[in-house]
Amino acid sequence: MRVVILCSSPYSETGCAVAARVAQLGYVPVGALTLPSWDRGTLLRKLGQWGLRGSLHYAIAKLVPGKATNRERVLNSYLERSLRYGDGFFRGLREVGRAYAFPVVTCGDQNSPGAVAQLKKWSPDLAIFTGGNILRSEVLKVPRLGVLNSHLALLPEIRGMSSPEWSLLCGFPLGITTHFMDGGIDTGPILLRREFASVDDCDSLTDLRNRMIAEGIELLAEAVVGLDRGAVSAVPQAERETDRQFFVMHEQLKEVATRRLKNGRLNSVAGRCDG
Amino acid sequence: MNRAESSTSRNYMITRTVRVLSEAAGLLRAPQRVIPLFSKLVSDELRTTFEHRHLYSYAAETIPRADALRSVVGWILDAQRPDGGVAAYYSLLTGYSESYPEVTGYIIPTLYDFDRLTGDPAARHAAYLATDWLLSLQMPSGAFPGGLRGRDSDNQPSVFNAGQILQGLIRAHAETKNAEILKCAVAAGDWLAAIQQADGSWTGLAVYQGTAHTYYSMVSWALAQLAAESKDPGHSAAADRNIDWVLAHVQPSGWIDGINLRGHPAYLHFIAYVIQGLLECGILRPREDAIQAAGKSAWVLLRKFETHKRLLGTYQPDFKGGHRFSCLTGNAQMSCVWLRLFEVTGDLRYLNAALKMNEMLKQLLPSKGRRGVLGGVAGSHPIWGKYQPIRFISWGCKFLADALMLEERLTRQVETKLEASECA
Repeated sequence: MRVVILCSSPYSETGCAVAARVAQLGYVPVGALTLPSWDRGTLLRKLGQWGLRGSLHYAIAKLVPGKATNRERVLNSYLERSLRYGDGFFRGLREVGRAYAFPVVTCGDQNSPGAVAQLKKWSPDLAIFTGGNILRSEVLKVPRLGVLNSHLALLPEIRGMSSPEWSLLCGFPLGITTHFMDGGIDTGPILLRREFASVDDCDSLTDLRNRMIAEGIELLAEAVVGLDRGAVSAVPQAERETDRQFFVMHEQLKEVATRRLKNGRLNSVAGRCDG
Repeated sequence: MNRAESSTSRNYMITRTVRVLSEAAGLLRAPQRVIPLFSKLVSDELRTTFEHRHLYSYAAETIPRADALRSVVGWILDAQRPDGGVAAYYSLLTGYSESYPEVTGYIIPTLYDFDRLTGDPAARHAAYLATDWLLSLQMPSGAFPGGLRGRDSDNQPSVFNAGQILQGLIRAHAETKNAEILKCAVAAGDWLAAIQQADGSWTGLAVYQGTAHTYYSMVSWALAQLAAESKDPGHSAAADRNIDWVLAHVQPSGWIDGINLRGHPAYLHFIAYVIQGLLECGILRPREDAIQAAGKSAWVLLRKFETHKRLLGTYQPDFKGGHRFSCLTGNAQMSCVWLRLFEVTGDLRYLNAALKMNEMLKQLLPSKGRRGVLGGVAGSHPIWGKYQPIRFISWGCKFLADALMLEERLTRQVETKLEASECA
């Protein structure tokens, strides 16, 4: 099976972990297509999202690992298993590429003609999306089987952004879905769906997300193996009467979600989510 | 274009040019306004150049809600003229405008809400003064005049103004129990019902540009409020008739036709008026069809805001593109609509969008400057945008204050529900 990794940055831990995990399973990617690390928009977004301190911390961990403690070298500690390489950890996609001998190509936009041409050159059976642009049909139709995505909620109930937080707030079970991407936001056919069992151990939303990302990677790996062996098939999502798309959650609501996580009250009380 | 249309268009251009020149001349009369004008132009230019909106924008509170609310209501109180009316705007060229009956009317509920929330007697006192002034303007027919006092169509009765003023009178009566106020409100309601067309619309001399507009759903909201007080079936029937007429303009895309402003694009302010009037009237009557239609339209705008972190200043039919400036008043109105939809449907995504919209609006409030600037909501962002350029407008402040107070109440409600569930 010829697999390609689509990544939001050469330093994305999730991207590295997915590439390394599928390679560990014997599906060494034929290539990885990533957005640049110094994209102005991404930098500004990360600054806004993480603040100056968090962004500096991330930059130090990735670019000057000698300055970071061993623990800090992997920001999501649940990815250590996938990222471990020899005595250390993969810091970037290029390191994973060097280790498993696959090319890493940078593009300004994953939908650009150049990116599409590169993908066609690799002629993949499957692409795994770990972040980047909203993909257009020109990209989506290149891989023979499709583009896989791991979504941090149970589809079709919760689509879009901040999905673990919305699951908590709306009283839906937490879970992960692996699905093929189509023209909509998280509307493509579903391959695997799994409820997330270790909620009680989570002490914060970040912790919850990190655990779910790690579990999502395992589910992706399972899907790749399953597709290769013909053991899984995609099921189209049921049509919903109401729009199930969710958007980035405001901090004020995240505080409510955090309290619900800590108190273990996961039934729906705060409000409904079915406009 | 036929001869009548070309003459109307020429007249509009002439009026507009005269207005622009007379506003610009205002700066010669008060050169001290050059500095605030220059500083606002520069700050907006810098902001639009360097601002980077993304999916995570406005997702955290950077300015406390209470501070922003005080500052916006402070702007309204400063804008109250000696006659008791509230100025329509503070122009960075000409200063405060004359008192504006329409806005003075529907600012009254905002002032009372602020008084209830904070116990600020200044707001209540301002509401008394505003009510007295409005009562002095009522015409023998029960109508209220259009335009600014001492200008424009001073003696021309106006359906829209009567509706907006009616909202203030109903609230003033609820707060003071003054029977005289209710009598005046009923007279205004009777006039509105009497001149309504059989199809539920309003047309003719008392209507802006003489044509029916769907944003007069705001008038039917006022009539529905009045019906709840007066128990007069004539008032409720008039509200229902207008809502039926507005609903006939709803398109499959969620767009509601019939804003019908000749010479102006469909500003977000008017689009939001249509939705807000429809929703509030739907809640009061109660009419599920009206709530559904308002919800559909509001959801389209919510998706646009969440995706781009901005709403355009104007939209073409079916929400297809428009001018790129922001109509801040329309944004604040949409925040109110989303908050009310959260209240009605319980869908937390409406609350989430409103929290972000309010955050964006708070960030655009001037935190320093002279009276008229400090705490003011600009007509457009950047301030030279097409809607009410170079002005801070009182109805923008009113809607932002409403949105912030609704946010306060509803977020508290979510917290309380959560606590109750934890205790259970």
